[in-house]
Amino acid sequence: MPARAQSDDQKIQDLEQKVEELDQRVKVTERNNELKDEDAAAQAKNAASVTADTGGFTIRSNDGNFLLKIGADLQVDNRAFVGDGAAAGADTILLRRVRPTFSGTVYKYVDYFFRPDFGQGTTVIYDAYLELKYVPAAKVRVGKFKPPVGLERLQSDDDTSFVERGLPTLLAPSRDIGYQISGDAIPNLVNYSVGVFNGVPDNGLSDAAVSSHRDYAARLFLTPFNGAARNPLSGLGFGSGISGGGVDGIALPAYKTFGQTTFFTFASGVTSAGHRTRLSPQGYYYLGPFGLLTEYTLTEEGFKKGLVQRDIAFRAWQVAGSYILTGEKKSFASPTPKKAFDWRNHGWGAVELAARVGDFSAERGIYNYGFASPATSPRRAHEWVGGVNWYLNRLVRISTDYGHTDFEGGAANGNRLPERALIGRFQINFI
Amino acid sequence: MRLTSLLLIAAGPVSWAAGAVKLLNASYDPTRELYQQVNAAFVKQWKAKTGVDLAISQSHGGSGSQARSVMDGLQADVVTLALAYDIDAIADKAGLLPRNWQSRFPDNSSPYTSTIVFLVRKGNPKRIKDWNDLVRPGVSVITPNPKTSGGARWNYLAAWGYALRQSGNDESKAMDFVARLYKNVPVLDSGARGATTTFAQRGIGDVLLAWENEAFLAIDELGKDKLELVAPSVSILAEPPVAVVDKVAARHGTAAVAKAYIEFLYSPEGQEIAARNHYRPRLKEVADRYGSQFPRLALFTVDEVFGGWQKAQKKHFDEGGTFDRIYRPGR
Repeated sequence: MPARAQSDDQKIQDLEQKVEELDQRVKVTERNNELKDEDAAAQAKNAASVTADTGGFTIRSNDGNFLLKIGADLQVDNRAFVGDGAAAGADTILLRRVRPTFSGTVYKYVDYFFRPDFGQGTTVIYDAYLELKYVPAAKVRVGKFKPPVGLERLQSDDDTSFVERGLPTLLAPSRDIGYQISGDAIPNLVNYSVGVFNGVPDNGLSDAAVSSHRDYAARLFLTPFNGAARNPLSGLGFGSGISGGGVDGIALPAYKTFGQTTFFTFASGVTSAGHRTRLSPQGYYYLGPFGLLTEYTLTEEGFKKGLVQRDIAFRAWQVAGSYILTGEKKSFASPTPKKAFDWRNHGWGAVELAARVGDFSAERGIYNYGFASPATSPRRAHEWVGGVNWYLNRLVRISTDYGHTDFEGGAANGNRLPERALIGRFQINFI
Repeated sequence: MRLTSLLLIAAGPVSWAAGAVKLLNASYDPTRELYQQVNAAFVKQWKAKTGVDLAISQSHGGSGSQARSVMDGLQADVVTLALAYDIDAIADKAGLLPRNWQSRFPDNSSPYTSTIVFLVRKGNPKRIKDWNDLVRPGVSVITPNPKTSGGARWNYLAAWGYALRQSGNDESKAMDFVARLYKNVPVLDSGARGATTTFAQRGIGDVLLAWENEAFLAIDELGKDKLELVAPSVSILAEPPVAVVDKVAARHGTAAVAKAYIEFLYSPEGQEIAARNHYRPRLKEVADRYGSQFPRLALFTVDEVFGGWQKAQKKHFDEGGTFDRIYRPGR
């Protein structure tokens, strides 16, 4: 073969080899990119999702077995007192509640909830519990949470129509540590809760038992017309909470007014002794923008001073009504404005008017046995409160309440001066 | 037969449609065709024997990945994976089956075996005859990632075993050999099937280190005019094991049918299906019938050369093992 032809053949062979090598390189690059895309798609499929909306910040695993929600409840209050009953230095702007919330679900059937409070310069764990939901009709809750007694206490603080709860809530426990089984005995119609707790003072909370006595609580609540279409009674709910247990060693309660001023304290040397029983018939009614909530709480608790030990009865009741002027439906939870506040787009949020009357009294024996002084602790308080709530959107609310409380007793020369309190609140809550 | 159905329903907390039982088999990458045929045959046999309708689902992927999926909650009633170590992990870390699982079925719970061979282009243009040809400059080797693929771990150990033999059991020379082999690997798929796709369908590489059955399958599909099988001088005896995942089967109420499914793999019909799909059967009568299709080559076991899978995994494939030290992507 001529040398030139050989050289050309060699060149062609070399070129073919180079083309083959380049072709391989391109294919390798393409395949590696394909594998990277497959890996990325597999990772994306397994990746947790993160969302942020009116429910807070949510992290959810791809398989749904793990859910974490981060929320918060922030309330900034301006408290002002007017009239002769105003105590010096009582006007204040304060962080009423600063509560981050961590809640969620693991493995579909176990809920957890953790909520501390950093408001008013203190750090308190309010709620810390887990709930097993393997049997929806018998959920098991363990930890620190609201015992099933008072209706308004069970309502979330950001959902109440007033900036401060009514007088019956003074007699219900706030938070206690224990176990509870609850659920719908008849779905959506009959709800029950039964629990055993350490025992805490009225309107109080505690992190440890003070004795081996326990507080037993139960509640039955009926909503017999729930879900009945076009039935005016579909928003009716009623029931009762009850609790009972030994009180030896439990701290004495101190009862506060609407303006959060302590108006009743026990005399020196008094201790809780014996037994305490609470009974709290309660109910609500909602129809369109109108809402009515009422409860009556009766507590009979044993006290001791020196050699004298007696049971003393406390009673409190309230009737609270509200009306949402902008027409949103009223319920046990806060309303969601039809149109969030944004004046540029003619959205004004939701506006609610609310009013309540309430009464608190201790039986006369509280003075007779020396458990309290009539000169410092009125045995009766009667309040009326009126307020306006402006729900800017699902999360933000601005409220102004005026509360007037009259007393029977509690002053050296008769009745303690009335309290007239004006409280404004800015609130954001997402959970 | 109706009573059996009712008992199956009552036995498990999961409610099945009346008369229908479901099984999930989590398998490694290249067994799709095998289990398609196994499942069809077993479903028919089970129906004839018990009157119960059975539906068997398959999940396939790299053996290591499949084991992790089962540990993370994949509800597999049975696992048919590439190596015993992956099922050991399910037993040890997730407690889903007992540690003595391998002794519950014959032949260390491996109803069939295979080995690692080379698949090359027709005509073998790069003249690849044995393992030492894989480390020549200019030879491009396709093998999957041993971190995710059981087949890849067999490939790796086969190469290492060859190098040990050649070097008189010199571990450092074996490591150097395998390092040079992986320098010739341009693409690292996650599983054996992916590697076959890379080589056979994408046309990448000069040689594929493949399960023997996978090599035969590729030739069957693409044609003898495109690919040919080269048996090296020595290779590793791969014993892919099978097991019932006790806790999952108990929860589903499928323990009995899962056991029967595994036993079917050892039956003459199951062995026949394995052999037709180019797996080396255990049953002598079937092995004798199909023996001529399999190349004769010297085989060593993981136990003989590496002291077992636990030791091999720890030394070579765990975090910081020899594979991590010799393989640097892109270098």
